Amino acid sequence: MDRIPLLLLVAWLLPLVSFAIIAIGYSVPQFFGIRVRYSTQKYGAYISVAAIVAACVLSMTAMFWCWLPNNPLKSSEEHEGHAEHTAMASPASVGEHTPFKLVAQEKSEPSDSAATATEPTETERTAAGSNAPPTSLTGDWYVLGQFGNLRLTIGYYIDTLTVTMFCMVSFIASCVHIYATGYMHDELEDYVDHEVHLPNHEHLHRRGRFHRFFQFLSLFSFSMLGICISGNLAMTFVFWELVGISSYFLIGFYIERHSASTAANKAFIVNRVGDFGMLIGLMMIWTTLGTFNFGDMKDADGTVHPGIFSQLRLKQNNYELAPADGMIAFEARAQVAEVVRNGGDDAAVKNLITNLRNDTNAHWGQWALLIAGVGLFCGCMGKSAQFPLHVWLPDAMEGPTPVSALVHSATMVAAGVFLVGRIYPMLSPEALLVVATIGCITLILAASIALTAVDIKRVLAYSTISQLGFMMLALGLGGWVAGLFHLITHAFFKSLLFLCSGSVIHAVHTNDMRQMGGLRHKMPITAYTMLAGCLAIAGIGIPFVFGFSGFHSKDAIVEQAIHFARTNGGTHPWMWLYVVIPLIGAALTSFYMFRLWYMTFAGSPRDPHKYDHAHESPPVMANVLIVLSIFAVCAGWSLSWVGPGVLKNFGVESLLEQARPIGILGNKPGVLLSTLVIPDEHASHATAVKVPAGVSAILVALAGVLGATIVYLWESISAASLRRSMSLLYAATWNKWWFDELYDYLFVRPTHLIAAFIARVLDRGIIDGIIHSLAYIVRGFAQVVGIGGDRYVIDNAVDTFAEKTWDLGLSLRSLQTGRLRQYVMFIVVGMIVLFIVASLLVKFAVAG
Amino acid sequence: MLEFTNPSVFLTWLVFLPAIAALVIAVLPARGETIKRISLGVTAVVFFMTLCMIFGWSQVNFKSGVDGMQHLFSIPWIPSFNIHYLMGLDGISFPLVVLTAFVSLLAMGASWPIKKYEKGYCILFLLLETGMLGVFCALDFFLFYVFWEVMLLPMYFLIGIWGGPRKEYAAIKFFLYTLVGSVLMLIAILMLYFNSDLRALQNKVTPQQILATGVVSPGLDEAAQQAEWQKIVSAETPQHTFNILALQLMGQHTDLFTNPNVTWHGHSLQYWAFILLGIGFVIKVPSVPLHTWLPDAHVEAPTPISMILAGVLLKMGGYGLIRICYPICPAAGYELAYWVCGVGVLSMVWGAFAALAQTDFKRMVAYSSVSHMGYVVLGLGVWSAFAGTQYNPDYWKMGMNGAMFQMIAHGISSAGMFFLVGVVYDRVHHRNLNEFGGLFAKMPVYSGIAVGIFFAGLGLPGLCGFIGEVLVVLSVWNFSITLAVISAFVVILTAGYILWAIQRVYLGPTYKGPHPEALTPMTLREFSIAAPLLALAIYFGVNPNALLKYMQPSVDKTVIELTDWTKKNEPAAAKPATADATPADKHNS
Repeated sequence: MDRIPLLLLVAWLLPLVSFAIIAIGYSVPQFFGIRVRYSTQKYGAYISVAAIVAACVLSMTAMFWCWLPNNPLKSSEEHEGHAEHTAMASPASVGEHTPFKLVAQEKSEPSDSAATATEPTETERTAAGSNAPPTSLTGDWYVLGQFGNLRLTIGYYIDTLTVTMFCMVSFIASCVHIYATGYMHDELEDYVDHEVHLPNHEHLHRRGRFHRFFQFLSLFSFSMLGICISGNLAMTFVFWELVGISSYFLIGFYIERHSASTAANKAFIVNRVGDFGMLIGLMMIWTTLGTFNFGDMKDADGTVHPGIFSQLRLKQNNYELAPADGMIAFEARAQVAEVVRNGGDDAAVKNLITNLRNDTNAHWGQWALLIAGVGLFCGCMGKSAQFPLHVWLPDAMEGPTPVSALVHSATMVAAGVFLVGRIYPMLSPEALLVVATIGCITLILAASIALTAVDIKRVLAYSTISQLGFMMLALGLGGWVAGLFHLITHAFFKSLLFLCSGSVIHAVHTNDMRQMGGLRHKMPITAYTMLAGCLAIAGIGIPFVFGFSGFHSKDAIVEQAIHFARTNGGTHPWMWLYVVIPLIGAALTSFYMFRLWYMTFAGSPRDPHKYDHAHESPPVMANVLIVLSIFAVCAGWSLSWVGPGVLKNFGVESLLEQARPIGILGNKPGVLLSTLVIPDEHASHATAVKVPAGVSAILVALAGVLGATIVYLWESISAASLRRSMSLLYAATWNKWWFDELYDYLFVRPTHLIAAFIARVLDRGIIDGIIHSLAYIVRGFAQVVGIGGDRYVIDNAVDTFAEKTWDLGLSLRSLQTGRLRQYVMFIVVGMIVLFIVASLLVKFAVAG
Repeated sequence: MLEFTNPSVFLTWLVFLPAIAALVIAVLPARGETIKRISLGVTAVVFFMTLCMIFGWSQVNFKSGVDGMQHLFSIPWIPSFNIHYLMGLDGISFPLVVLTAFVSLLAMGASWPIKKYEKGYCILFLLLETGMLGVFCALDFFLFYVFWEVMLLPMYFLIGIWGGPRKEYAAIKFFLYTLVGSVLMLIAILMLYFNSDLRALQNKVTPQQILATGVVSPGLDEAAQQAEWQKIVSAETPQHTFNILALQLMGQHTDLFTNPNVTWHGHSLQYWAFILLGIGFVIKVPSVPLHTWLPDAHVEAPTPISMILAGVLLKMGGYGLIRICYPICPAAGYELAYWVCGVGVLSMVWGAFAALAQTDFKRMVAYSSVSHMGYVVLGLGVWSAFAGTQYNPDYWKMGMNGAMFQMIAHGISSAGMFFLVGVVYDRVHHRNLNEFGGLFAKMPVYSGIAVGIFFAGLGLPGLCGFIGEVLVVLSVWNFSITLAVISAFVVILTAGYILWAIQRVYLGPTYKGPHPEALTPMTLREFSIAAPLLALAIYFGVNPNALLKYMQPSVDKTVIELTDWTKKNEPAAAKPATADATPADKHNS
């Protein structure tokens, strides 16, 4: 067990090393003007493949040699035994935090780990009510910053889910890497891009860039594994952004194509809209809980810092979800301030919070909890392309097909679902209802668009969105295992389907299914592996006997949906929609998947020219398809018949059951919506639910296959006539329900308008206008003063004074007569006047 | 003169070496390339000196993890007004000094394409560097003001002579804006000076705190210092001072600046001083609505001057806020916290929207600076330590550290962005975003570095912009929900304008503008300017502690002092109730 963090750390960092080697190693010669030879470019791919395969081996080692021997799996029956203990929510009690799980790891290296994951005792399990506390390892590798008690770190939280995701991601990534060495081979020579038209009506000729593709695949693998291993939400956010940017680079791999770079921008920006919500959730958690860690951390001195889960699900509260003290304090700031102002100490504040918590009518802290949950879910909506942020994923198909298989179906877009699964213990029933509703809308919306799409990759893209909707729906309705189970099975069959479509595109050089047909004769491996994928996604199987992987996971979802509707349907009959819509969605799924298969592989070739040039893909690609198809068939199976040993009871479902977060089983009544109940997942396996669910799921799946067969294989009803009879619906789905246009009018254009308004009107017009007018006023004032005041008033005054003095002088000249007697008289008169003035002055001024 | 182990000698050389070199260059008969080589050598020596403080021998070493002033020295300059030649460095100013030296070195390297009046250019450039370094080192308000003005004039000429077509307009606009700011600052300085009184500190603060300000000559023995202090205390007349550190103590521990008898329009002297200083610094940052000099100045300024302007000059605004405004005027800062943060958020949104609308590459980058510097103002001001949070200073620490980090990060990324715009401008002589395209094929290494630097501006994890932004944004919720939501919203816009610009310039099949033949790959000189910036952007993004270990102790100290002030002085009427009704709200109502 101690070695697991190290193993996964190495597995996680290997792709980063590969990225760095290719990024730097291949840029240095470029700087000196040396073109990288194609034979050298190949080695870039080998480095990348080696890194991811090694990561896969390490993950498998962690799973089968370290994890499972220490944590033996249980059969589903054993788990359901616990369902009887299901405890209803008991009144929230407040007290000190107690870690529900021993975890201890100081930063530095994981090898000195004191983190011995203890097996929970039976008493703990009973206390847990429903399920045992899952084993987990957590710790920090690296501190990004510490501010008082707040720590931002890079660390790990490893439970069965993490290990399972590591195996799945690294395995599919390995497959895709290997496949891509074949698929991308035309980058190993001078490349003619037929989709780029230059002004001189020629196609673009450029050097191939084989190694760059693998460079970004490695970056992506690193980022994706980072999300899986992440020990706290800040780290999740970091890698959330990094998968976003890897996806940006990969979608826009053909940088010369305007459509590709636009799609890359769209993907990143739409994801950022989701991240906006996610940031709000993060801020709420950070402010109210003061930590981002999932698990509890132990300091060097032994103090335990409770993580998010144990703050929200206290042991003494029977692991039931309740707002943490910080959330109540946050909502009740006025009251807290009051207490503090009156000299209250920490104990007084704590007392206040306890009182508020006991005031059950006011729901203190519930809104904070809801905002945190829904906020984080917004990020998941962006990444997992959920309505209304689903618009980027179809466009993302501009990237090369291996990218679509890895990034945009199997792993990155599933990260949203994974995160919902990860933060599940902090989602309140109300937040879960939001998740379910969004998932429900998404699955039916996307399925309807997939019905009419003719681009083979777009059909698969909408199918991906729809399946992600299924997963969200399952999680939202309380089916934690069901949702994540579908995530894993979907990853296998959807990557298979995409790689098959890549093989087809590789052969016929078009995405348009209307130019295909009959290809199964030319490329049988592709055709029949894809058929396996179609059967898997359609959920075909014989109930209780045999099923493709999708059958098992979809069945679990339908079970949970029916169970949810049975629980809530009494008070809210409309909640049966959560059953009806996924059933319709399932029918549509099998319809459009078989439509795709028939249009591509069955019937007669519609474009003989393309058909003639088609060929089966090289072994490096075909073998990958075969491997993946095996998993698409059996990923849902459970090895319940295997005897004692590591593989006893091995299966995705039992793995996930082992990872189930503590306290999420049992019926969870809502607080803000008091009539809402998120039902116990184990109870959904009861026969009363299981049988109708199994039967209805298989019936709708078969109905969809039958429909597609009638229309596209037997052509008893022509597609054209169907199109005509439902022209409005057809137009809506063909135009993707006009979301792109709607968003363009609602958001894109107004944003540009506001931007232009701010830049031109407010900035240059008003602010600069004020500045300029100030300048003019000052200049005007200067002119008034300089020309008016200076020249006219002062200069005139001075001139006038001079003139008057001159005039006075001239007029005084007449007094100068030269007569002596006259002068004597002036003197006498002057003396007398002076004397009088002086004596008056003396009298009034000095004496008086 | 040459005892470098003496902090006064070392810091003086550090600050004045460029100015001395400028004088020498002025009388040298050399011209052209030689002058630039000498100047480059001088900036390199200055940068080397700052490196000595990071890695160097113990006497000049700047210690990390220390919160107080280091290398503090004080020499009487104009004794009749108690003006001292007082300098020192702490974790807040030291990273900025290093940044200044670093960006100056790179900017000098980027000055090679300048062929007009090279001698004059280099002289002004070096004077500018002295001014910038001086501002960050000075701890005497008068000295600070002198350096502040010293920096202004060379900048005016550098834009006005070596600028683009509308250089006169831009230079005059820059000059007048900044001059208004500095005049307001001067008024505030004098207000504070004439109301200060060192005697009031007696018994209000500990002797250690007084010693740490340098009002009594640092370096003397204890008895001599004690005697000097007694002389000050026993004086009959008020002992005015320009010592910034002493003014901080007065602002926080005495009522000299909040004297109820000295009010104007019902507000204390401190309040008005904060506003005057605040306007002066906010013009420099620049924040909306006092930002319109920036786009014009950037567009017209030559590339290296844009680098200096964005990389260093804007930081002085933020530096002034954290060093002067808040510590000296805590009561006003508390009262106006919401307004300051509001200005920060407004700048973030406004700058981002305006950047989205630009068609001039450089103008777009300029507006992105407005947006990014908004984070700085916001982070500094998130005064979330009040009664409702039980005076928890942690979130504010995080915000202020984030703001400081953002200053350095923006210094790196924006200097890089302006340089990279300059690289293509030198080749094709236009900056119209709609007439680029396809640069990746023609200049692959350049485009690779450019995308990296632009992503640093976008705030991508792993690059320096992310750390600053995320620290600031995460700290805001505790202060105000509304502002937090708006500031989180900006991440969408930022992605929008940066990605759109990258698409229009670097991606696409062909270059659409004039002079396609001039698009030659990056030269070694250009590479050696851009690559270190990218390397640092990655380094600080991956290892923020490399920076935080220097700045955090000082920043935390500032926050803790202000929190202590809040605990003692939070007026009864201003108890913030919710996260959204912050001090300012209550006061306005």
